[in-house]
Amino acid sequence: MVAGAGDREVSVKDRENVMSAVTRRRFVGQAAAVAGGAALAGSAVAKAAPAPGKAARRAAAQDKTEVVIYHIFGTPPGGTPAENPHPMTQVIDAFNEQSTTATVTSLTPGNYQETLQKTQADIAAGNPPDLVTVPWANLHYAIDGLGIRDLPTVAGDSYDALVALMSDTAWPLVTRDETVWGFPWGLSTPIWYYNADLFEAAGLDPAESLATWESFAAACPALQEQTGGPVFSLTFNKDWPAQTVIQSNGGRVLNEDGTFGIASAEAKAAMQTVADLDAGGFYDRGTADELRPNFIAGSTAVFQASVASLGGLNTDAPFTLGTFTWPRFGDTPVQASTGGSFLGSFTQDESKFAAVTEFLGFCGSEAGYSLWNQVGYVNISNIELDRLPGQEPAYEQFDNGLILETNWPSARGLEAQDVWDTYCERMWANDITVEEGTEEALQEILSITGQEA
Amino acid sequence: MAITSQHHSAARGDRQVAEKRAWTWYRLTEGLTPYLLVAPLLILIAIFIYWPLVYSMYLSFFDWNFVRPDKEFVGFGNFTRLPDDPRFIRALWGTLFYTVTLVPLQVFLPLGLALMLWPIRKSRLQDSYRAMLFSPTIIAYSVAAVMWLWIFNPNHGVLNKVLVEFGFDRVRWLSDRDTAIWAIVIVATWKTLGFHMLLYLAALEGVPKDYIEAAQLDGANNWQIMRSIRFPLITPTFFFVLVTTVISVNDDVFGAINVLTDGGPFDSTTNIIYYLYQQGFQFFQIGAASAVAVIVFVATCLLTWVQFKFVERHVHYG
Repeated sequence: MVAGAGDREVSVKDRENVMSAVTRRRFVGQAAAVAGGAALAGSAVAKAAPAPGKAARRAAAQDKTEVVIYHIFGTPPGGTPAENPHPMTQVIDAFNEQSTTATVTSLTPGNYQETLQKTQADIAAGNPPDLVTVPWANLHYAIDGLGIRDLPTVAGDSYDALVALMSDTAWPLVTRDETVWGFPWGLSTPIWYYNADLFEAAGLDPAESLATWESFAAACPALQEQTGGPVFSLTFNKDWPAQTVIQSNGGRVLNEDGTFGIASAEAKAAMQTVADLDAGGFYDRGTADELRPNFIAGSTAVFQASVASLGGLNTDAPFTLGTFTWPRFGDTPVQASTGGSFLGSFTQDESKFAAVTEFLGFCGSEAGYSLWNQVGYVNISNIELDRLPGQEPAYEQFDNGLILETNWPSARGLEAQDVWDTYCERMWANDITVEEGTEEALQEILSITGQEA
Repeated sequence: MAITSQHHSAARGDRQVAEKRAWTWYRLTEGLTPYLLVAPLLILIAIFIYWPLVYSMYLSFFDWNFVRPDKEFVGFGNFTRLPDDPRFIRALWGTLFYTVTLVPLQVFLPLGLALMLWPIRKSRLQDSYRAMLFSPTIIAYSVAAVMWLWIFNPNHGVLNKVLVEFGFDRVRWLSDRDTAIWAIVIVATWKTLGFHMLLYLAALEGVPKDYIEAAQLDGANNWQIMRSIRFPLITPTFFFVLVTTVISVNDDVFGAINVLTDGGPFDSTTNIIYYLYQQGFQFFQIGAASAVAVIVFVATCLLTWVQFKFVERHVHYG
């Protein structure tokens, strides 16, 4: 069933409204839910039972229902497996160790986009994966384009137990038209990482320098003396950090009424702030593959990335790593966007529903989620877990109210997103003026999505 | 006697019929055998080459993402929207740029290298050179990309280290629109150089020594031998390299674009094949991607026809 463009517009509006209310304050511990989750996943059994031997596991695995999951956290084809398995792999291994009825097999086709490509190809070939990490921003496409299964159908009688595992604030992220389409999993938000050693060498206090865009601009020349080149970089697809920049100045990429706000005065002023820093030689125009190594090597002092990068950066950075919220525009609180993904089911085999549900239950249980929490994502479960050092800015932004990552409307939404991404890159690198860039981008996006100005 | 004669006549008739049948069967099996032998290959080609081609043409008239159960017929909509897409226009310019720069580089540079290596063909040094120059061909783009990403790294890459040593400024090879496309050209040339060079070396090996000796006896110098004997006799290989390079150059460069720049910065390194890939596998617009595929197919056929029409007449098949 394919929803019309009108449906999507209404949905985007609804979800923007809902997300304005996503705050940490609404997180309420639900002890009963945790207990329910543990029971669902059978973790109590796992604790009591002795670990089975290899031969026994192999024999048992033959009778188990196999659940195939595509996720972005493993080793892509041709890569070398990490010495310490990613927490996602740890969750899967822990589940396989304790489950007597299901076994999860994982595959990492690459990044989110490559994972979506692989999913689409396998659906077309009649062999869909059972679970996939789907970016929050692609919820519409997963529903309209890929035929994702709704969670109540997959979970059946266990649906309420699954819902009880995760925070009330997480479910609206996977809800459209009053239907829940996936299991909330990795909620991230972009934050700023900084090289504390370079700040110290420059005689700067990070808390003061990174507080506002004005104070950051003032600190850039001193930091540039340390780096000998650019000072900061904005990573991943440029449309993602651009969303936070625009929102923090009171604008919106996608307004609540479903229209585009990229050419508003607030959006233009926000985009100009970064373009001005580039004009001063402070913005690193490097490719996506270059920015992280540049920061690690001390060639830039500030690096914006997802809070989920915290674990990896902590391991790799040879300097004192600091984290901070995005700079403010004046006294206006930062309005950061969400990022990350949910677990969506594409299985067409109803006999696998119980196994998929069992795995999701384990993911949300204390045994599963405490492993997952090592990544650095914001905790959206109902389990009280210690925050990782460095996560504070993410929770501060979360408390201010995160805004859902732009869910680009229309069947050609992914193309529209790419157009905006390219224009953001061009404007920030002063390849085009902000005035021209925002107007041209708007016209192209309207032409692609078939909307009116 | 008459009976015997009739009997003989009937026997001869039966024999003739039997011989005729045997001959027909022989002719039939003789005639069919080649077809039966090539049938498996033909079937595979039909399934994996021609059927996708026909199906792409069919899909180019629909708005579909390969998964939705319903395909929306849009007529020529996927074709008519292309000229209005600025990114398609940029991709066309990129395609033209890669064709104009890479075809000469991939056709003439390997020829020059082959001619330089030819005189030392009996030396072990040539084997080393050949191995060095051919090895990029067998290295996967994904592997080579890691190496090139580091070579081109603006802060720590070896290329900029050398430039700085000689007093030049650092260059943002992959993130500056003026240099990124040249970086792609360098990598794409590096990747295909060795294969074409080997083809030329094999062709030079095939030039009959008699011709060379006769020319030398007539007092021809090396340049004259090259211009009037060697090159004309390797023109079939030259023509083959030219035609296949024109056909595949934009396809081959896709790997470098995909792993080094993703078409950026600002779509400055994209080409029509990368545009097709984006439409089909990033934006899941299978109809639009099929329309682009049809355009590429028609353009490739036309270019190949032009080459056969105007260039092949200069080829000496011996």
